[in-house]
Amino acid sequence: MSRLITWAAVLVAFVAVPFYLEGFWLQTGLFAMSAAVGAIGINLLTGATGQLSMGHAFFLAVGAYAYVSFSDDLGLPTPIAAVLAVLLAGVAGGLFSPIAGRLRGAYLGIATLALIFGGQHLLFNVEHVTGGFNGRAVPPLEIFGFAFADAPELILMNVPFGALERLWFLGGALLLLAALFARGVLRGRPGRAMNTIRDHEIAAGVMGVPVTRYRAGAFVLSSMYGGLAGVMLALVFQRTVPDYFGILLSLDYLAMIVIGGLGSVGGAVIGAVFVSLLPQLLTRYSDALPLVSAPGSGGVSPAEAARLLYGAAVVGVVLFLPGGLLGLLRSLRLRLPSLPTPLPDTRSSHVS
Amino acid sequence: MSRNRTAALRGAAALLSLALAATACASEKATGGAQPSASAGGDGVKTGPGVTADTITLSLLTDLTGPYASFGKSLTQAQQLYFEQINTAGGICGRKIETIVRDHGYDPQKAMASYTEVSPKTAAIPQFIGSPMVTALKAKITGDKILTIPMAWATGLLGSEAIQVTGTTYDIDMINAVDYLVKEKGIKAGDKIGHLYFEGDYGESALAGSKFASEKLGLELVEQKIKATDQDMTAQVAAFKKAGIKAALVSVGPRQTASLVGVALAGGMDVPFVGSNSAYSPQLLATPAAPALLKDFTYVTAGAPISAPLPAYQKLITDYQAKYAGQTLDSGVAAGWTAAIIVGDALRKACEAKDLSREGIIAAHRGQKAWEAGLGGEPQDFSAFDRPASRASYVVKPDKQAVGGAVILKEAAVSDLAKEYSVPAAG
Repeated sequence: MSRLITWAAVLVAFVAVPFYLEGFWLQTGLFAMSAAVGAIGINLLTGATGQLSMGHAFFLAVGAYAYVSFSDDLGLPTPIAAVLAVLLAGVAGGLFSPIAGRLRGAYLGIATLALIFGGQHLLFNVEHVTGGFNGRAVPPLEIFGFAFADAPELILMNVPFGALERLWFLGGALLLLAALFARGVLRGRPGRAMNTIRDHEIAAGVMGVPVTRYRAGAFVLSSMYGGLAGVMLALVFQRTVPDYFGILLSLDYLAMIVIGGLGSVGGAVIGAVFVSLLPQLLTRYSDALPLVSAPGSGGVSPAEAARLLYGAAVVGVVLFLPGGLLGLLRSLRLRLPSLPTPLPDTRSSHVS
Repeated sequence: MSRNRTAALRGAAALLSLALAATACASEKATGGAQPSASAGGDGVKTGPGVTADTITLSLLTDLTGPYASFGKSLTQAQQLYFEQINTAGGICGRKIETIVRDHGYDPQKAMASYTEVSPKTAAIPQFIGSPMVTALKAKITGDKILTIPMAWATGLLGSEAIQVTGTTYDIDMINAVDYLVKEKGIKAGDKIGHLYFEGDYGESALAGSKFASEKLGLELVEQKIKATDQDMTAQVAAFKKAGIKAALVSVGPRQTASLVGVALAGGMDVPFVGSNSAYSPQLLATPAAPALLKDFTYVTAGAPISAPLPAYQKLITDYQAKYAGQTLDSGVAAGWTAAIIVGDALRKACEAKDLSREGIIAAHRGQKAWEAGLGGEPQDFSAFDRPASRASYVVKPDKQAVGGAVILKEAAVSDLAKEYSVPAAG
């Protein structure tokens, strides 16, 4: 019951945001939502199944560029193009999974690194599809005649609803679906199988878990999440540029799941929000923060401060918070009995 | 349980509708869709976003942490100096100039986020570093009608009424460079010339120019494409040497230029090198490549080097060194200063027309057919936005003694080829 009220409050807050906050916040929020979807994907793979992937940015790129190409070059309706883009990212992951099935740990990490370099080379050079260095403009999504763009003008309760306001709801819905689906996967049979593979592969095999199939499956699923994050990112960005889908983006995703908490949906979302909000907030409030100087005046610039801070966050989390920020939240709630204690691994419908 | 749940759901729905109702009256965004722009101030001047009764806000979107950090710092400091001087002299249109600086670190996503943040409160953007970033935002800038000076000279940036590329584009510079090689360095029809360029629109627009010129003059072009992350040019020098080139064009970053020219001379390839304006920086004269650069390297640029004997630059040098003692006077200082003046002049003209709305500022800017501020070079034509503002380039050579590390070798001139060149339509 109290849970329902919490969720209702969250929903109200979520709906109210685009009516109050300016474009900057909506855009930052949308980047965070897209990052959250991508982070859930890599958490399924790296956090839950224990396969290190440095190639996540590649699958984002596949999703983003496939959406543009399917809708512009092939002239498909944009929702279909988006779905196909996600599927194509899954296929790309599936094609890589034979390699993923043979390598472990750091070796797999290095193999996936090849995806980044190969992928960026293609993005720069297959110009008729990717637009080369300059990238391509992204056509706005249009569902049943409703366009997620600034035009035609739409005014809700006196608030002008542009592309960002409209996308806010779409992003929220996609994130919710993605999170629920991943939660279902993690809490059910497949999740247990994946965790067993992570903890002890041989034991998993002995217990009858089809290890290769699960590892391949996790890779495909994670790539599809990456693809969806790529489509969302493209819609917010309104332009795809190859520079963006580099090694730094992949590392950001690893940082997100480490900071947030490995192996869970909540952890991925918290980490994604933290990593994508931090630099934006520091830049915006650089004038008011101590030690951080306004750009151009010498001293530590906000971008550097953000990098330092989140480097420190990774080190701090690894040293002191093995469960990530999500683990921290849980233990805080356990210590403060007045707060409702969430039992993360409980199925609420059976208990109440 | 199910009854509880229904009640809770109903409660939530009620709460939701309440919140929405509250939204409608309390939100600052609730403007009914009308733009807050185009209202007349007390002094009869029409104002728009970024302009109030006593301030005009300008945004500098720069790179202080990425590959162009030193260039960005010079640009930003020069522009802040200019606007400070304006404010001391009473501002423009009775309004003080305020600047917002945002560092995007050469990252398109951060540039996009910064632009979304500052654009609602910005009247003009006197500096926006990076053609990938400006290209990514071109449609938005055009739609928002914010006068923007990109610090990049790729041909693809033409074609937007709001975006003003200063001076020449890279292709025009390269045409003038080939013309210079033929007229003064004894290159003749049938000779091979090399062109080392960056992948991306900087290198590729430069290549469009060199291709055009070498075709017209019957030269054979030997292309070498590199990535911005490549540092060692030994392989490229070997390729040029094998092809037997008589001269080389250079459209890369300063580091690659130093490597190319240094390695080439050490390997006995003593040919003239002509660079684009972004290929050189005075810091190179402190590297081991300095003797080679001083011997064989020149570059072409629309803006006069800061050492040019012009009173405006001499004053800039004195003022800049007084404020930022001990800092290098690279091409960023002159480029930033020029762009700041262009925006300042547009604002003054807009003030004369009593229209400081964004449309008014762009109209005032585009009304100038022969803009000139005592900074050298040919007067620039801002009236057409699908053509470069100028087609005249200086030929400049490195010099250890000169301020800014470069002196004019050949005065600004338009080659006949550059006159007949038609800029490809922007994509």
